[in-house]
Amino acid sequence: MNVYVTSTGAFLPGPPVDNTEIEHILGFVEGKPSRLKARILKSNGIQTRHYAIDRAQRTTHSNVEMAVSAARKCLDDSPVPAKSVGMLSCATTQGDMVVPGFGSMVQAGLGVPAVELLTAHGICSSSVMAVKAAANSLRLGEHRRALVVVSELASRLLKSTRYEAAGGLAAMDFNSEFLRWMLSDGAGACLLEDAPRGRCLRIDWIRSFSHADAFPVCMGIGTPTDAKDARTWQDFPTYAQAEAAGALLIRQDVRLLEQMVKLGVDGALRLIEEGVLVNQDIDHFLCHYSSHHFRGKIADLLVMSGANIPEDRWFTNLYTRGNTGAASILIMLDEFLRAGRAAVGDKILCMVPESGRFNTAYMHFTAVGD
Amino acid sequence: METIDIKRPVALTELGQGALRRLARAWFEFERRLAVVPIVRRLDLGTFTRDDYQRLLLNLRPQVVEGSRWISRCASSFDRDHADIRSVVLRHAHDEHRDYEILETDYVATGGNLKTIREQPRNIGSEALNAFLMHRAGEPNPVGLLGAMWIIEGLGQKMASNWADRVEELTGVDGSCTRFLRYHADNDDSHMDKLYGLIDRVCTHENAADDVVRTASVVARLYALQLEEIDVEP
Repeated sequence: MNVYVTSTGAFLPGPPVDNTEIEHILGFVEGKPSRLKARILKSNGIQTRHYAIDRAQRTTHSNVEMAVSAARKCLDDSPVPAKSVGMLSCATTQGDMVVPGFGSMVQAGLGVPAVELLTAHGICSSSVMAVKAAANSLRLGEHRRALVVVSELASRLLKSTRYEAAGGLAAMDFNSEFLRWMLSDGAGACLLEDAPRGRCLRIDWIRSFSHADAFPVCMGIGTPTDAKDARTWQDFPTYAQAEAAGALLIRQDVRLLEQMVKLGVDGALRLIEEGVLVNQDIDHFLCHYSSHHFRGKIADLLVMSGANIPEDRWFTNLYTRGNTGAASILIMLDEFLRAGRAAVGDKILCMVPESGRFNTAYMHFTAVGD
Repeated sequence: METIDIKRPVALTELGQGALRRLARAWFEFERRLAVVPIVRRLDLGTFTRDDYQRLLLNLRPQVVEGSRWISRCASSFDRDHADIRSVVLRHAHDEHRDYEILETDYVATGGNLKTIREQPRNIGSEALNAFLMHRAGEPNPVGLLGAMWIIEGLGQKMASNWADRVEELTGVDGSCTRFLRYHADNDDSHMDKLYGLIDRVCTHENAADDVVRTASVVARLYALQLEEIDVEP
């Protein structure tokens, strides 16, 4: 049985924030401007993003509120009534509550009754896990409609007070600051149905490859700044002590990022080898990674092996909407579809490489309908 | 020396492209395997020590010394119909036949004893790797060894671009100790062009492509074994 994406929605909090404004919102650590900001922004290329906190670092929208707003937008654009949704499949990196699951809170916010619930736990690729689980439940015939909602509120992790509590400037390095200039807030949603409705996307396949068995953590929260200290955050006597040790900071091991790009290519090559993916047929490529990561030797290898996707087929809104983690791919898909870029018959490949501990996820759609 | 050039092709044939995709997969599989080798994991996690670095050099040297021998033997196994490939391999043998001396100098610069590194026997992985390469190099027209070059050159580039700075950062040694690791950074692009040219030249039928990819996978496994053994043998 086929499953279709019949509607999408997105929500971005507040006005777009440009590069000069970022630090006025996230705050100046110890009152001083960052010395790494310009360099990191230049490398990620992001021009504007949105934050769900204000200049006093007060939360303006909770993660659940953003999720519900994106979900409503998705449902408002569809004749499908909210109460006919059989499954609610959610994902986030960090909910407002530690427990219960994010999905429970989103369901309460949406007011949809008696749904089957899923909260996918992870980072960027958890959105794809949520889509796949929802699509599979429709394929099994257990439900006719599923709503996928993914939301991220990273800015709360990036406030200057977090870094000051963890030792301030003296304890900060490139790895602890990298994501401060990369991540921002937003939510995306999509409605899956077991029959096409108007112009929509047929899900051809969704696949992923995780490499946590081979590689160390590349992006995470929970370990202290001192790499020799093997404790994780809850092993400390108090949360205050965990925070002071830097165990609640979000960190990226920048040195390992190159491996992520290679594993993204590796996954595509696995799918080509299986005969599942035919790169030459892809009309639109939506990637959670910026194209400039695929330059140099790896780009040359893709061209020489006939596995590249020409740059004019790439679509991204990372530079204007920011990197919203798991929500990014749905926010991107929403903008892509609303711009009317998918003609009937077009093949669309989405790729989400998650650096957390190296999971690469792929979704393949064909535009159908009318 | 008069040589026939193998140049980077404008585009690979469909068979060549397929072989390149499989070689890329073999390389990524090698990197996956390397990442769980204890001494490489310590490099990634930041717990790699100067002692680790000395043991790495000690265990690399025997195979680097043998490297020039298998490449030379490989060159002599190509007949006149493969003279262009033989030229490339000969040049390669010439380029690399004394690079173990750089490695020895690096070891001494880290405070190691020259006699110690010269007397270091092959570890179990090096024995297997050397035996396999010498065996394949002695076969007539051993085109599969292109797969060995793919892995070994790839590792050379990884050492230069990924390991050398990290070793210096973690152990406090300076550039005078990491010249071997950095050795392959030069002419990176021309190395790749040469490999693309060889793939185009060699992978003209499915059997040859299979042989190249299979050889790459075997060499990758044995190379990783050589590095694993650093933590097994005293």
